Amino acid sequence: MKKNKKVVTSTGVAVREKPLGIRIWNNRGYYIMFIPVLITVIIMNYWPMLGIRYALYDYKPVGTPKLIGFDHFTKMFSTDAFWVAFKNTLQLSIMKLIITTITSVVVSVFLNEMGNLLAKKTLQTVIYLPHFMSWAVVASIFSLLLSPSSTGMVNGWLKDLGLIAQDQAGIYFLAESRWWRPIFYLINIWKETGWGTIIFLATLSGINPELYEAADIDGATRMQKIRYVTIPALMNTIVTVLILNLAKVMNMFESVFVLYNNAVYDVSDVISTYIYRQSFAIALPNYGYTTAVGLFKSLVGGALVIICNQISKKVRGRGII
Amino acid sequence: MKKKIKVFDLVNYIVFIIIGLIVLVPIWKVLIDSLNAVGVYQFQLWPNKFTLDGYKTIIQTKLLYQPFLNSVITTVFGTLLGLMLSTLAGYVLAQEDLPGRAMLAYILLFTMIFSGGMIPEYLVMKRLGLVNNMWLLVFKHGVNVYNFVLMKNFFEGIPGSLYEAAKLDGCSPMGIFFKIVLPLSKAALASIGLMFAVTVWNDYTTVKIYITDPTQVNFQYKLRNMIMDGDTPSTAYHVSQTTLFNAGIIAAILPFMALYPFLQKYFVTGVNIGAVKE
Repeated sequence: MKKNKKVVTSTGVAVREKPLGIRIWNNRGYYIMFIPVLITVIIMNYWPMLGIRYALYDYKPVGTPKLIGFDHFTKMFSTDAFWVAFKNTLQLSIMKLIITTITSVVVSVFLNEMGNLLAKKTLQTVIYLPHFMSWAVVASIFSLLLSPSSTGMVNGWLKDLGLIAQDQAGIYFLAESRWWRPIFYLINIWKETGWGTIIFLATLSGINPELYEAADIDGATRMQKIRYVTIPALMNTIVTVLILNLAKVMNMFESVFVLYNNAVYDVSDVISTYIYRQSFAIALPNYGYTTAVGLFKSLVGGALVIICNQISKKVRGRGII
Repeated sequence: MKKKIKVFDLVNYIVFIIIGLIVLVPIWKVLIDSLNAVGVYQFQLWPNKFTLDGYKTIIQTKLLYQPFLNSVITTVFGTLLGLMLSTLAGYVLAQEDLPGRAMLAYILLFTMIFSGGMIPEYLVMKRLGLVNNMWLLVFKHGVNVYNFVLMKNFFEGIPGSLYEAAKLDGCSPMGIFFKIVLPLSKAALASIGLMFAVTVWNDYTTVKIYITDPTQVNFQYKLRNMIMDGDTPSTAYHVSQTTLFNAGIIAAILPFMALYPFLQKYFVTGVNIGAVKE
């Protein structure tokens, strides 16, 4: 029989560890406290996983589900709209991630250079604001601003500047394929850049001031200090932010969902919006098919989380989950 | 050399003002348009024909105030449920020598890697009677594993010696939780409570997927439908469409904007615990 291993208490006394059964009994209070958590997580997160079997069924709103094997997957991989959605998911999330990371870094560096603390604090308060607005609100604000109607600010300005003739109709930015993506990225920049600076500012406040003093002695200008001290100090954090968010690229949903419309599906439709429409917005949905697409999304998403977790462990010595 | 620094500072101030304006102009435009009786495209600092009709319409029209009330109710209860579950989960998972702790943690973490997907979730919610029911929002957002883990990170910052002293005094796990952990974690409760509140208040997608009954939808849903899908013709109300839409946007962001300056530090704490400390 295995001897109980010794454990050291906080007072430095080595005592024999009690058998597992007794330790579990002694800790029963904790397990009881965990029961509500376990029950809600099982109902909300694990129970739906049982429904994944419908990916192998023909499952329509009426009638009983019928087992059909892997037909849905064959159909999915030969459907153009699915591939468009998959490609858009990757492109929109990765581009958004890169663009907002760059703008966040640039704004953080500016904030860091600001000597006037009041100005710095004020700007921080202002640029964090949009993060707390819902995507529904942000979409509403920008659809009014970008509206081609007589009250749309952007089109009004373009007319004042003579870029659009006065008697011409305004540009319907959110309903034209060539405008939708740039506008989507701009709105993301507006909403998330400020919030993104928090993590970079935390890093910048941790830079050893001696580095800047040493640079001063060497006669470095402020641009040189930014180039050779500030930016290198941020590299680790930039990598961290990229890894953390790369794990989430498949999740893109709400931001697209509130901004897209049927005129721009080709450039905006992502996997989640595709699943939504195929399930709830067409005449004869097949829940089996959309479950299969959802399973594909979950698997790719899960794989990305695991990959990013491994990269994270290698690069920064700890995982992301 | 001295002159160069001055130029840099000047440029920095200009960039500051530009960044601030980029963020503020759209918000100010919406605010002024919500108070302006006639819709114009120009950016104005002050409404040229002041009116409060937009806001009056929202308060007086059941089609609009019912969703607003639903938003308030679901946000309050979602936050309470979320705080209850995350403090319990965080507290138990922060017990380093609890047998089976790793297994309990994996049960939670696995849901961050893999999920059933939209349709299987929909079918389960249907079984639970939560389709077309605003309480769905409470449960869907109250059970947020990411926030459970954040709370655990907060609790791990409480010195273990405090627990042990309490245990020696014969305090039960529940007693320690209420007498020591919660009183020491007011900042964490504020920070994570705010995250739950913002998530529930701001949700649009869940409502769009699960709720069609107009008495159960929340304000975000109503707002977006009104503005972008042309739902609810404003001719029914004695106010211009632009004024009503903009007033709706302000009503949707007002609760958090009013509290925001006082709560900013709690929001920021949450991010730093989540991303930096992990």
